[in-house]
Amino acid sequence: MTDTPPTEQLIPALAESRAARRRFLIGASRTGLALGTVALLDACGGSNNGTATPTPTDTTTATPSPTATSVIIDQNALNFLINIEYLTAQFYAAATATPLAASLLTGTGTQGAVTGGRAVTFTDPLVAQYARELAADDLAHVGFLRSMLGAQVVAQPAINIDGGASGAFTTAMLGAGVIGSGTFDPYASDENFLLAAYFLSDVAVTAYKGAGLLFTNTLLLAAVAGIMGTEAYHAGLLRTTLYAKGATNATLRTNAGLISNYRDSLDGTTDLDQGITGTATASNIAPADANGFAFTRTAGQALNIFYLNHAAVVGGGFFPNGMNGVTITSAAS
Amino acid sequence: MTDDLQPIDSPTAEPIVINPAERASERRQFFRTALGAAAVTVAGATALTLGPRAFADTTSDVDNLNFALQLGYLEAQFYNIAAFGGTGLPAGQLTAGSAATGTNVAGQATGARQVTFTDPLVAQYAAEIAQDKAAHVAWLRTELNTVASAQPTIDLGTTATGAFSTAMRAAGVISGASATFDPYASDENFLLAAFLFADVGVSVLRGAIALITDAGHREIVEGAMITDAHHAAIIRTTLYVKGATNASLLTNAGKISDLRDALDGTGDDDQGISPTTGTNPVANVIPTYADGTIYARDGQHALNIAYLNSAQVTKGGFFPNGVNGTVVTSAAN
Repeated sequence: MTDTPPTEQLIPALAESRAARRRFLIGASRTGLALGTVALLDACGGSNNGTATPTPTDTTTATPSPTATSVIIDQNALNFLINIEYLTAQFYAAATATPLAASLLTGTGTQGAVTGGRAVTFTDPLVAQYARELAADDLAHVGFLRSMLGAQVVAQPAINIDGGASGAFTTAMLGAGVIGSGTFDPYASDENFLLAAYFLSDVAVTAYKGAGLLFTNTLLLAAVAGIMGTEAYHAGLLRTTLYAKGATNATLRTNAGLISNYRDSLDGTTDLDQGITGTATASNIAPADANGFAFTRTAGQALNIFYLNHAAVVGGGFFPNGMNGVTITSAAS
Repeated sequence: MTDDLQPIDSPTAEPIVINPAERASERRQFFRTALGAAAVTVAGATALTLGPRAFADTTSDVDNLNFALQLGYLEAQFYNIAAFGGTGLPAGQLTAGSAATGTNVAGQATGARQVTFTDPLVAQYAAEIAQDKAAHVAWLRTELNTVASAQPTIDLGTTATGAFSTAMRAAGVISGASATFDPYASDENFLLAAFLFADVGVSVLRGAIALITDAGHREIVEGAMITDAHHAAIIRTTLYVKGATNASLLTNAGKISDLRDALDGTGDDDQGISPTTGTNPVANVIPTYADGTIYARDGQHALNIAYLNSAQVTKGGFFPNGVNGTVVTSAAN
């Protein structure tokens, strides 16, 4: 989001964006791009709402790739990340009643539908304002990743963000012990929305960090690093808000800890997760190791949590039929 | 570093895009005058809209990690003294990694003191951030070992001619040549002073990720960026919440953002936190381009902010004698 008035924000924002893409192209022409010319043109011509189409006029002069393997690694990593963005963008879009355009959901693989989701009637206007910011950012991420991937982009898989008894959030919160029985509806209150967003957000950050280690193309890495940074701000926003509200509603801090422990139980024996309660005199907004650095999850470990399954499986939880692409199997954790 | 200015005249460049917001930049010129910076050429018709910046690839991992260490000293000292009092980092954390040569001799961080926090949450945030920043300094020093750069002289004081007062006067947060800004006088002042630095560190680390060559270092820089983004989110979220009932905090955060933007060149790569207006306002906790990625800065442009000077200089502001290492000169904006 920009800090200029709504009527003026679009033009400078688009100018920035165009300039960013122009630089992307200039940089690419200097160094050669692993994804090749077609994807590059997509990156230059794509827009932030993802509605622009690729310009297929330059396929005869495709840029030579360093190695086919490195191209595929980068594509797979980007496609893994866009599956996560489909999930979080749809969740925030539902909560804020700002649905994603159908043109943003197409691609290779089997396109799936979204199950569940409804607008939250927010009590705290600040939480509503946060939700709309999160929705806008993740919508932009879907568009930007699609522009990077071009024709290689995977379609949105089937997604479950249902707030009912059979929904993924209920399964997750039962597993965490946030509820002992019954249903967990993320759309029923500010607090439930924040806990549900927190459940997904921290996983996204660690997954981006892990994926960032895979990239061979530094231009793509630079772009992904920018999304990674935004995801970290999102997590910081959510964790700070839960912590602050937790000062007078201790259940929120307790539940954040339960969710953290549950995520940790799904992704293996290594401690890769922390709640928000620190010491008597210090908060724990930033989940970090002894050196102050954020945690890394492999794709397989992140999938354990999205699938709500510690075993090696290819679907479940928030992705009933699994992610689309080739990075689809959770780790045997 | 040649940065990203030169390709615009190349035959392959697209038509120049001028960000309309940059055309009426009286505020920015005012800031430059106010800061006494050297004459700055406003490029007029050839003005550029800068996209994301990154470190020039002529820098090595050692250069980049040492630059992160220099910024780390500044932030670690500010937070540690504000949160815990005393003199900040232990003496053993300030020296050069091997026998000091030239200017690479440990300087002092002067002028800071413990804040008597009113809001216990702010005190808990300060303590958490202080510990993380100190951990980052310690890790970087260990990793750099014999080539670790010494702490430079750091001005954290509150006099009218000190760095904080100079910055806040230039931003318009305070007015009058004898006016002072004391970051340690209140929760609000502490948060605004922290805001001045927070996004800068994140944007530098974002820029560095794609240029770090060692895989282990890449993971560390990603982890540091994510942690620092959480810290920045704490500061921005807390200002946003308090700004709901104390609008001057939103206004002043915007002024500080404008100052940073004025110092680091013609591209708009900074944002305050004020929400959009209208029926469904949107928060602006996360400073992003239109594509949903956070801003990036290279070391030179970060130094424009730390030195409080839009010109090409080697010292000033928070670093009265400059920084140590190889990235020591701010950009000519």
